[in-house]
Amino acid sequence: MEMVSTVQNTDVKQKDADRALVVAVTTRAVFDAAAGDVYGMGVAFPLLQKVNERLLEKNPAESLLFDVVLIATDSQQQSSRIISSTSHYGLEVGRFCFSSREDLVETLVVNNVQLFLSTDRDEALQVSQKGVLSALLGRQEAPSESLRVMLCGDAIVRPDCDPVPASRGAAQSFSARLGEMRGRFGVSGSPLSIVLVTSSGGSKSCGVALQTLRSRGLSVDEAYCLAGAPRGPILSLLRPHFLLGDGVIDLED
Amino acid sequence: FAAVLMFPMSLLGILYCPRGMSLDPVQVKELNVSPSPNGDSRASWEEEEVEEEEEDRLGIATKTKPVSVTDLSSPKPENAVTVAVSSRVLFRTELEQRVFEQKGVEEYLRYQIEHENEPFAPGPAFPFVKALETVNARLRELYPQSEELFDIVLVTYNHAHVGIRLINTINHHNLFIERFCMTGGSSPIGYLKAWQTNLYLSADADKVREALAEGIAAATMFMTEKLTEVSESQLRVAFDGDAVLFSDESERIFKAHGLDKFFQHEQDNEDTLLDHGPLKGFLEALGKLQKKFYAKGQRLDCPIRTYLVTARSAASSGIRALKTLRAWGLEIDEALFLAGAPKGPMLEKIRPHIYFDDQMFHVEGAAEMGTVAAHVPYGVAQKHNQPQKPGARK
Repeated sequence: MEMVSTVQNTDVKQKDADRALVVAVTTRAVFDAAAGDVYGMGVAFPLLQKVNERLLEKNPAESLLFDVVLIATDSQQQSSRIISSTSHYGLEVGRFCFSSREDLVETLVVNNVQLFLSTDRDEALQVSQKGVLSALLGRQEAPSESLRVMLCGDAIVRPDCDPVPASRGAAQSFSARLGEMRGRFGVSGSPLSIVLVTSSGGSKSCGVALQTLRSRGLSVDEAYCLAGAPRGPILSLLRPHFLLGDGVIDLED
Repeated sequence: FAAVLMFPMSLLGILYCPRGMSLDPVQVKELNVSPSPNGDSRASWEEEEVEEEEEDRLGIATKTKPVSVTDLSSPKPENAVTVAVSSRVLFRTELEQRVFEQKGVEEYLRYQIEHENEPFAPGPAFPFVKALETVNARLRELYPQSEELFDIVLVTYNHAHVGIRLINTINHHNLFIERFCMTGGSSPIGYLKAWQTNLYLSADADKVREALAEGIAAATMFMTEKLTEVSESQLRVAFDGDAVLFSDESERIFKAHGLDKFFQHEQDNEDTLLDHGPLKGFLEALGKLQKKFYAKGQRLDCPIRTYLVTARSAASSGIRALKTLRAWGLEIDEALFLAGAPKGPMLEKIRPHIYFDDQMFHVEGAAEMGTVAAHVPYGVAQKHNQPQKPGARK
């Protein structure tokens, strides 16, 4: 029995289904629960939106855009509130999916979601294990000039780990598309920043990661090679909005 | 002219009595070093493997590094003496700097990528970094399990597009640099703290000042054409006294009231310790490592040697400096009291891998005679001394 309903947002121009980068975000990640009719709002969303704006500025016919799907799995949140909050904040949400926890993965697959963002670790893990790339959103307090996406280099240089993580393929194709998107902007003033972090290997393996990403069409802005040093101090400076790697990586390390 | 007095610390008797035997300051045992196939001298204790240029499947040129007996993994930052260097002082990048200044960042990055397989030449900090690695090799031999080593981190605000060229260069020169931060334009200062940096070397005086303000020992380095040969078996670090190891309080008196008042002040305050300066912590870190060699009976053979090179004079104002060092529990191997004489000739004799001074006048004087000198932009001297030549710019 289908418990999912998908509602198109008529306020927003629909994206090209073949070319857009579909990013699903949970309502809990976007709206903070608060008293009153209208929810608060997370930090990453406006930045996703800014990337689209800047892309369209450069090329009004641009089809490589973020297509955001807002997913509600929590029956406590009222669909009408979600839709009205979205409208209130002028969020560029293409579709709403009112699903359930059980149907989450199927909903993502059906909607051709290339990246799933959540603030719930278990949820993100569950999705990742089914082969959909997912990432935890960071708790960003400080505003940022750009959307900061961190890539975990250890996953990139470990092609032969056993078993191969389910979301590996999704990660590779996503990073290629992201690289294409990043390439639309120049070195400075980009609304999208790509940061590479390798945790355990030395400088040689970081070099391999840089080369591998470049061969996929993704040029990285910043690179950090930790060679075993604790990640926490560096991560708290880097303040990524989300981190992509094998499985799901906690931003608060 | 006031005579230049050289005081090997062991001979000072009443003023300062280090434990251990007296040392002839000139005699440094040179260890047998046989050159390896690629021309770099490597010490005999390191396993010599033939180093071949090889390209891995992705086309990155690497050399197989000689592998020593213990697994060479990087120490935890809290255990290590972390030295952070920028790419512009570790390597020579003047040509690329010009491209950046004349043609902008996009062209600069394109140029770097185009020349990715051409390693950079060694920069002013290179011999110092190599010497740190030599000390590490000796420490690993004596204490295979210890993490009390030098850890060299490349901290650059270069863009990651330059990363592959930098990594290729590190491999080409057989440097053991496994950690780096390429911040793509944002300030590296936060990362210095995250790495628990003990010393930061950069070509950018503003960044150095920022680091000093955060309590991190830091100095600006410049490329010089003349470079005297330095030891490959012993790390030698020389420090100015006032505003480097010590605070600038006495320099303030001198600048404000002249030499006589300075002497009077020093005499009146002979038994009052000087306050500490920005490089005191680094000297302390060196001392801790030195003690590890002494503990294994290697005082004569110690691959770290420290020097104080000060304009103070031994008989008068120098006393306060020595008393302060002694009270801090810091040993310094040689104290040279120049009583105002030029430092260049003395440094040329010592041949340190690096010399720290707060006055550009002395930094330039040292460089003219081939010593790698680093400027510590701290204290009252900064208002009075401007560089004669323009320093390296971003």
